[in-house]
Amino acid sequence: MIGFGIEFVPMDLYWRTTYYSIQAERLGYDNIWITDHFNNRNVYVSLSAIANYTERIKIGPGVTNPYLVHPVMTAQSVASLNEVAPGRVVCGIGAGDRTTLDMVGVEMKSPLRTVREAVEVIRRQIAREKEGYEGSVFRTSPGARFNFRMQGRIPIYVGAQGPRMLQLAGAIGDGALINASHPEDVREAVSYIRRGAEEAGRQMDEIDVTAYTSFSIAEDEKSARKAVVPVVAYIVAGSPPSVLEKHDISPKVADRIRGDLAERRWGEAFGAVDSGMIDVFAVSGTPDQCVEKIDGLFETGITQFVTGSPLGPNVRFSIALFGREVFPHFKEPA
Amino acid sequence: MSHLELVRRIPRSMYGMLSEKLMDALLEAKGGDNVPSSLAKTILYYWQRDQLDSEAGVANLLHAAELADPARTGAVLDELGLEEIRLAMRLVEP
Repeated sequence: MIGFGIEFVPMDLYWRTTYYSIQAERLGYDNIWITDHFNNRNVYVSLSAIANYTERIKIGPGVTNPYLVHPVMTAQSVASLNEVAPGRVVCGIGAGDRTTLDMVGVEMKSPLRTVREAVEVIRRQIAREKEGYEGSVFRTSPGARFNFRMQGRIPIYVGAQGPRMLQLAGAIGDGALINASHPEDVREAVSYIRRGAEEAGRQMDEIDVTAYTSFSIAEDEKSARKAVVPVVAYIVAGSPPSVLEKHDISPKVADRIRGDLAERRWGEAFGAVDSGMIDVFAVSGTPDQCVEKIDGLFETGITQFVTGSPLGPNVRFSIALFGREVFPHFKEPA
Repeated sequence: MSHLELVRRIPRSMYGMLSEKLMDALLEAKGGDNVPSSLAKTILYYWQRDQLDSEAGVANLLHAAELADPARTGAVLDELGLEEIRLAMRLVEP
C-alpha cells in the first residue's frame, strides 16, 4: 500500500493553505503535513482550519520539534486536534533546524535522546498514564496528565536525516519522515530505518516510510526546475560536508551560497544553484519526469511520497496537474 | 446593489470560467489580507462543496477578488467581455 502526502508551509494566509488542502483532499492525497517554524503562522491554528474544511485526509505537523515546544504541549495540541478531526491526526516530530533554533538562542543538545524522550512523553500523555516520566531531558510528575480523554491513537512519525536519527525512527516511529529527494539518499535512509527496526525487534511493515521531498511540477521542465531553485539553495547551504561530498558538490560553492543567503543576496545565491544540485535535492520536472522519479523512489522501499514545497511555479495549478497526470500512474482516481 | 445582484446579470454559462479566473487572482493577490476572514471562510465553504461556480460562489469570489486586487479583477471582467459588470461594480454597496 502506497500513499501520497503534501506539505504546506504556512507562510501564506490561512485560507489559502486551507483552499489548497481541500484541493489536495479532493484529488486523492492521503496526508497533509504542515511545517512548524516560529516565524510562520502557527502550525496547529493552520491544521485546525484545515480540519474544519476537510473530511478524510490525514493531517499533522511535519515536523514539530521538542526544543521550542515541550512534548506535553505537542501531546495536548494533537490530542485537541483529534477532537476536530477524529482518527485523522498524525504527529511528525524531529530535532528541528539548527539555524532556526540558533535565531532564538536555543541550543540543539542531545538530539537523539531529546527526540526519543519527547516521543515517549507524547505517547504517555495521550494514553493518560498515571505514572510520571523521569527522563534525562524531560520529566513529568505523576499528576501531570490531561483533564480530558482522547479517543483512538495518533501515529507518531520521526523526522530524520542522519543515520542515527533514521535508526531511531525505525526503532520507535509509527512512521519515518526521510528528509531527502535523491533515490541513492533515500535508499540509504531506508536501510538505516530497517536496521533500527530490526534492532528493536520490529517489522518494516509496521512503519510508514515516507520520503519528504522538495518537489516542483509544471507542464514544461524549465518552469518546474526554476521554481525549485530557492528551496535547493537553502538545502545546499544547510547540508553537511559529507552530503555535499557524496554528490560532488563543492563545499566552497555551498559556503558561498550560505553567505549570500545570510546577506539576502538572492540573485547570487540562487544563481549559484546548478542543474546537478536540483537533481540531487529535488524531485522536479514535467508530469512524465515526475512519474519516473517517484517510481524510482518507491522502488527504494518507501511507502509514502510527500510533495514538499515549492510544489511548482503556481501552487494551485501544480496540485491540479499532479492530480491529473501523476496520480493515475499510482492509484485509483479519488 | 449587491455582488449577488451583479452576478445575476452575467450569463450562467460564464460562471465556471469566471470563478476559475477570480480564484487565480485571489490566490495570487498581494492584497489577500484585505479579504475579511468571514468572507474567506464563506469562499472555503463553497469550495469545500465544489460550488464556487454557483451564483453565490461567484458573487463571493467577485467581492473578495475586488478587495484583494481591484485592478486584476477589472482586467478579468474585461477579458471575458464583462465591461458592463466592471462599471456596475461601482454601484455595489459596501
